[in-house]
Parts: sequence; C-alpha cells; structure tokens
Amino acid sequence: MRQLRYIFILSLSALIATAQEDIFDLLDEETESTQYTYATFKGTKLLNGQTNETPGKGVLQYIISHRFGSFTDEYLYNFFGLDNAHIRMQLDYGFTDRLNVGIGRSSVLKTSDAFVKYRALRQKTGANAFPFSITLYSAFNYRGARYTDGIDHYMSDRLSYHHQAVFARKFNENLSLVLAPSIVHWNLVPGPEDPNDTYHLFIGGRYKLNNRIALTSEYAFSSNHSYGSGATEERFHNPLSVGVDIETGGHVFQFHLSNTRAMSDPLWMAQNPYSAANGSLFLGFNISRVFTVKQ
Amino acid sequence: MKNIILTALLLSSTFVSAQQYLTREARLDFDAGSPLEDIEAFTESGSAVYDANTGKIGVQVLMTSFQFKRALMQEHFNENYVESEKYPKASFKGTYNEGSVAGGLTIHGITKEITVPARLDQEEGNYVLVTSFDITLADYEVKIPSAVANKISKTASIQVQATLKNTSR
Repeated sequence: MRQLRYIFILSLSALIATAQEDIFDLLDEETESTQYTYATFKGTKLLNGQTNETPGKGVLQYIISHRFGSFTDEYLYNFFGLDNAHIRMQLDYGFTDRLNVGIGRSSVLKTSDAFVKYRALRQKTGANAFPFSITLYSAFNYRGARYTDGIDHYMSDRLSYHHQAVFARKFNENLSLVLAPSIVHWNLVPGPEDPNDTYHLFIGGRYKLNNRIALTSEYAFSSNHSYGSGATEERFHNPLSVGVDIETGGHVFQFHLSNTRAMSDPLWMAQNPYSAANGSLFLGFNISRVFTVKQ
Repeated sequence: MKNIILTALLLSSTFVSAQQYLTREARLDFDAGSPLEDIEAFTESGSAVYDANTGKIGVQVLMTSFQFKRALMQEHFNENYVESEKYPKASFKGTYNEGSVAGGLTIHGITKEITVPARLDQEEGNYVLVTSFDITLADYEVKIPSAVANKISKTASIQVQATLKNTSR
C-alpha cells in the first residue's frame, strides 16, 4: 500500500515535470521587446498633406506631382485637364531615421519651398508601448510670381510659413489615420482686417486593399474662409481629396481627385479658392522615387 | 532504503530539467539576393532552446527584428513578402541527432518538415549551434511579383549561430 502511494506520488511528480517542461514553451517566454510600428503610410505625403513617415537614413527621395485642369474648364477640349497641368517637384533627404529635409518648386504662383520634418515619437508595441506617432513638420514658402497690384513689395511679403504636428496611428494592418493641427502664417494678407495666422486641422486616412494598393482620403478644417468683404471678398474652401496609392518597389504612385490645385502647403490648405460644389474638381498624381544614397 | 531510492529518483527528475539550454541572442542571417540586387538581413535577437536529454531543439525569431541595409527593403520585407503583421514569428521545432536537425520549419504561417545538417558542440558548458541551409520561398508561399522576379532569388540561404547557456545557471 505504502509502495503504491510512493509510486503514485512519483508518477504524479514526473507528470508535472513533463507538463512544465515542453522545452519549446521557453521560446515564447521571451522578455517582451519594444517593436516600432512600421509603414503606417506608404508615402511621406498622404495626398497633399503630410504623413508621419520620413524616407529613412541615407535615402534621397524625389517626388513629382501634377494637378490637372478643372472638370468645369472645357474638359474634353483640354484633354481631361491635362493640357492645363500644374507641377511641383520635391527633392528631400533623410539625414537620420528621424530627420528629413527637403526643397520643392511649384508652378502655382511660382512657389519655392523648403521644409524640415522630424519624427519626434514613434508608435510602438511590446515593452514601452506607445499608441501613436508624432512627427513635426515646418515649411516655408517663397512666392516667385510677380505681383500685379503695382506696389513695390518687400521680399518678406512673399514668405509664408506652415507648422504642423502630425499625429498618426496604424490601427491595424489596413487602417491608418492621421490628425494634424496646423498653423499657417502669411507675411502679407490683402487687407488690415484679414488674419495673418490661420489655424487648420488636417485629417486623413488610408485603407489597404492589398499589399500594394490602398485607398486614401484627406480633408482639412480651417479657421478662416475669406479675405475682405463685399464685392472684393475672396472665398476659400476646405480641401477634400480622395485617391489611391499604388506601390511598386521603389516607387509610390498616388492618383487622386481633389478640389485643390495648389501643392505647396499654405496654398492648398489655407487659400483654396475651389469648391467641389461648383464642379471644381481636379485629377492629379504624385509619384515618388527613393534612392539609397548612403547605406 | 526504499525511501533513499525514491528520493534519488525524485532528485534525478530535477536533474533532467537542468539539462535545458537557452539563448535570446541567437544570430540569424539570410540572403535572398541576386546578381542584380543585394538582399541581406540579420538579427541578433533570435531565441534558441535545446534539451540535452531529449535532443529537442527549437529556434524562433521575430520577423520585424531583421535588420536590412535599406529601410525601404526592410519595410517591403515585412509588409509585402513575409507579412509580419499576420505572421510575426518564424520558428523551427525539432530534434538534433548526430550532425543534423530534423523538424518543422514555420515561415509565413506555413510549416514544412526539413532535415538539414547542423553542428551542436559543447563548449565550456554551453552548446554552440551552427547551421546553414537553403529554403525555397515558394514552399512558404512568399509571393514575388513578376516585375521584380529577376532581382530576388527563388531560394533564400539562412544561417543560424547561437550559444545556448544552461538554464539552471
């Protein structure tokens, strides 16, 4: 009887031992490591607006953008607006995985621009998890187009600024959203009553259809919708765009339909004269190409 | 007398558990390059376990821990090829037997039985695992678009190097 009891206890302890020691369980008992969320968006830009992404260290990026003529402007005669294309070129470089600096030139008001973009915080999971990314973005713009008001303008009149904090979150493999409070400052506005600073809230998102194709959309709320009043009033409309991202290796193609035509930041966000309700819709695209300059 | 034998038996079962070896710093390299493009990556945070009594051996790695020279390549690797969000880990679970390991290799959610040569040498109380072998990407349903088919090798060579330490120490 006693023997039996011992044997019972022994076999029980052996059972417990084997149950505890499937050696492969040890593989999963990993101390949790921090994992940065990658590829919240395919591009550094969503359509016109910024995403949290930067090109990465040692990567040179070239973006060429076109915005075609309006649907309301002799659309077929102008070959779907292609005959009236505006263009913007951008060249930017990732000095580190966080810091991105670039320059651009747009045909709308012959605007030149320069920007700095910095990934302040990155979304991460695991140990030290953080639910979203924060990227800071500042651009300054120089209007190259001649003024037609007959006034001799200072060089500083031509400058405008755009500062933004980009909050982005990748909710899952397919859905990512971006929210970016923004300030635009114009050194020169038409009248003394008109605000030099305007405030904007940019929202956007993407939904991946498969590994290479995603639907995108963006919109921006604005604190100011007009300059002046009465007969000389200039009305502005909130920008709305819908598009599709197609990624092929080192290229990202972004095609979209939008009620904006300008491509430098303050213009499309703060002074968009076109309203979709009036039929002012434009086709456009961005194509980005990256080159790894330094490995 | 009986008690002594039983105690000895019980003790021996604790010795059994002391024959487990483990590392969280296994180095894994892989190369799926072609003459047109270098595609190489490594990680030094793989896990490996070995039970010297049963011969069971396991290796596991987080796909996102692989470091590439190019940030974009790393992104594409995770996002388009191995789909790390869906299949975060690759693992091997099998047994070591005289110069080779045999067992199930799981990549991209697909498990294939493999037998490949491996060295497992005892060094200063540790076990050092070294192996290198090729896998066919199509076996693990890693899809390569035709546009880049000539840039990416159809097979990837994988190297594993790990120093496993006794878990009881």
